[in-house]
Amino acid sequence: MKAIALCRYLAMAAAMVFCLPAQADETCMSPYIAKIQGQEDYVYVWTLGVEGIGDEQDKLVTIDTRPGSDTYGRVVGSLSVGGRNEAHHSGLSDDRKYLWAGGLDTNKIFVFDIHTDPGKPVLHKVITDFVESTGGLVGPHTFYALPGRMMITALSNNVDHGGRTGMAEYNNNGEYIATHWIPTDADLMGAVKSGKLADGYGYDVRVRADLNIMLTSSFTGWSNYMMDFGTMLQDSAAMQRFGHTMVVWDMHARKPLKVLDVPGTPLEIRCAWDPDHRYCFTSTALTSQIWLIYEDDAGEWQAKAVADIGDPSTIPLPVDISITADDKGLWVDTFMEGKARYFDISDPHAPKQVYEKTIGSQINMVSQSWDGKRVYFSSSLLGNWDKTGDADEQYVKLYHWDGNELKHQWTVDFYKEGLGRSHQMRFGAYALYGKRPAGETRLAAVVQ
Amino acid sequence: MRHAARAGLHALARGVLVAGLIAVQASARTSGELDTGRAFDESQARGPGDVKEGYERADYRTRSRSLLDRRGARKDLIRFALDPPLGLPPVPVPADNPLTRTKIELGRKLFFDRRLSINDTLSCATCHIPEQGFTNNELRTPVGVEGRSVLRNSPTLYNVAYQKHLFLDGREISLENQVWQPMTAHNEMAAPSIGYVIRKLRRMRDYEGMFERAFDGRGPDVLTIGQALASYQRTLLAADSPFDRWYFDGRADAVDESVKRGFALFSGKAQCIVCHRVREDHALFIDHRFHNTGLGYAASVGGNEPDTTRVQLAPGVFADLSRASIDAVTQQRLPNDLGLYRITEDPGDRWKFRTQTLRNVSLTAPYMHNGRFDTLREVIDFYDRGGVPNELLSPLIRPLGLMEWEKQDLEAFLHSLTGGNVADLVADAFAVPIGDLSPEGPNWAHENTLGY
Repeated sequence: MKAIALCRYLAMAAAMVFCLPAQADETCMSPYIAKIQGQEDYVYVWTLGVEGIGDEQDKLVTIDTRPGSDTYGRVVGSLSVGGRNEAHHSGLSDDRKYLWAGGLDTNKIFVFDIHTDPGKPVLHKVITDFVESTGGLVGPHTFYALPGRMMITALSNNVDHGGRTGMAEYNNNGEYIATHWIPTDADLMGAVKSGKLADGYGYDVRVRADLNIMLTSSFTGWSNYMMDFGTMLQDSAAMQRFGHTMVVWDMHARKPLKVLDVPGTPLEIRCAWDPDHRYCFTSTALTSQIWLIYEDDAGEWQAKAVADIGDPSTIPLPVDISITADDKGLWVDTFMEGKARYFDISDPHAPKQVYEKTIGSQINMVSQSWDGKRVYFSSSLLGNWDKTGDADEQYVKLYHWDGNELKHQWTVDFYKEGLGRSHQMRFGAYALYGKRPAGETRLAAVVQ
Repeated sequence: MRHAARAGLHALARGVLVAGLIAVQASARTSGELDTGRAFDESQARGPGDVKEGYERADYRTRSRSLLDRRGARKDLIRFALDPPLGLPPVPVPADNPLTRTKIELGRKLFFDRRLSINDTLSCATCHIPEQGFTNNELRTPVGVEGRSVLRNSPTLYNVAYQKHLFLDGREISLENQVWQPMTAHNEMAAPSIGYVIRKLRRMRDYEGMFERAFDGRGPDVLTIGQALASYQRTLLAADSPFDRWYFDGRADAVDESVKRGFALFSGKAQCIVCHRVREDHALFIDHRFHNTGLGYAASVGGNEPDTTRVQLAPGVFADLSRASIDAVTQQRLPNDLGLYRITEDPGDRWKFRTQTLRNVSLTAPYMHNGRFDTLREVIDFYDRGGVPNELLSPLIRPLGLMEWEKQDLEAFLHSLTGGNVADLVADAFAVPIGDLSPEGPNWAHENTLGY
């Protein structure tokens, strides 16, 4: 007990030193990253190449988001990286100088320099040996900054292309350090299997540094996420290969503590910011529920479903979620409906939907500014899962949120621009580096 | 009698093969075990490590295996070709590609090498997974480069050495030729050309000297790559099953009475044996012919697609998804699969597919050319119904009128066909390092480019 108490004390002390003064980025990213409190200057969009569209390869697209700029709401840069790698998620390094972006298919990791000129990212490094270095992890997904490190979750493995997988830890130079496997029944690695399931699957990772807790969630392996969505839905064998677990880890020791049953495929994890709010949220993609992962009065981490998202029987397919900085609201996007929903989560045990709006024929990611006033949406889920025909809209849209209503500001049509499918969005700002755009004298962003 | 005949043939075959092998392989080892390592858990050889048995129920419990435990031990594979397991005939080996250990080892390395695909993501073993019966238990139809859909279920490679017609439509005539199709098919490994594969292999430093040692100084080329891969696949011989021990070795206690009754049905009332043949001294359970069972017809023109599809969302949780919802996210529309017709263009060959072996069938779900059935019981029910009527239905397919207990006995018989040496083949496969891109490997992002 003393040892645990000491660890908690040290973890909180570390959080005080490293996290709280800097706080965090726009509501959903690592607490170790410098954050933009004011106006972001650019949105970097990790974009999938599409056969028949432009140069057909993946690219980092830069959109100008500076109000008053001549190019406000328009594409100002497009950096092609070669191949269709199944561009998916991206994450910033702790110093926010580099953006790491992964390919779920080819396992390549592209590291972009976004600090030398925030308006013109350049390709700094390509990591090509992720699978070999990590001992067989496939599908680099979440890029989550820890001090001097990048934690990268994977979705699959090079043996059967199924869902058993792990996480890889790299340093900021892009050098491999360690692999942390998700616990399975055969090797729980010291964790407690709290329910019926220990599938070994992976997806997202988030930390609560003050609680010395790391959480991972679970999706599916390469064979499924690369497969044509309609074909997969009709493949009863494939539909059995989805994850239904989350794992609570000792963050500092990188040791799994407890495997939680979260049936229905828990994807994105969003943790509350208030130190007294000892919980995180996730949504289950297939069963369309919001789940609360929380520390109970006895200090045990638990998981429970706390709300339905739309009508689960129609499979709305909740994808990205985004928590507000005050822990009072949660945006939930449902891919099949093209809708964004806003839940009041003031009572985390009983979220209530208070607003919804159809954004497009399909929707995936949502990124909000720290103050919650600007909400960006993108459209692509996976290269072979997106809708077909006219419903295959590919966009980034900005809305203003006044607490009651989303008001549309602009749309970038990624097909008309010859770009591809828009996925992950990350913010950039000159002020992060003590710089300003050419011709401007003010610092656009307020940065802590 | 059966056993004596088989022994005589095998002795003859051994004489021929051994003479050939000794000429090229003076240092033949007698032990099958090359590197034992840690003890191999034989249960790993019989199904995915991600165990989904009972997944349809809400009380499903995982029994997932650790990938770190997936370790094997090298075996002397050539011994299976020299002396095929009980129940198999001598292995046909082309005169211009005699089996040698160096070729088998090279072919095995190639088989597990993901770098042979255009983007370093897929190997032969991606769709022919050792512990999944050298097929894929986890998908009805495989997924190729960039997620491209593939028309047919991945066939098992166990005992592929005996196939006269490669692919389910029979379009290839030898394993040596066959290997190039998945490597260069746009929706499989998608190598842009044969020359691309040769060029890439020449720039992989871990292959330095391997081809030359296996092929008397000859490097990687269109023939040697095919010959090496064919040599490895030719050793994937899996028999000596409980059925073989009973039927060919006369061991009455090798199978239970249900299996014996099942075989009586198989060779009698159900007449499965007409296509899945059993000889006096061996059994391949194939006839090297093509048949229309109606399954392909139903998928092409005869099926009335239901308005909803039952989709499983979690253990014990299902939903009925509308056809419109599924169509909305179906990007890839494949052509109808007309089987042998695609090769001959004879309208009489529509929806004919090659008879598939029943050996090791317990390990090779899902079943049929399109993976339509998840269980053997579904397959038995299909044939009991007489397939799907169509004007080209094989006259061999007719309603069988099987009783429930007869179906159970047939299924018991099919489960008795799992080879006793499967664990050796899988253990050997587990010992092979999977070929993945390293910083030294050929890639545009490396110093060692593809050399253009």
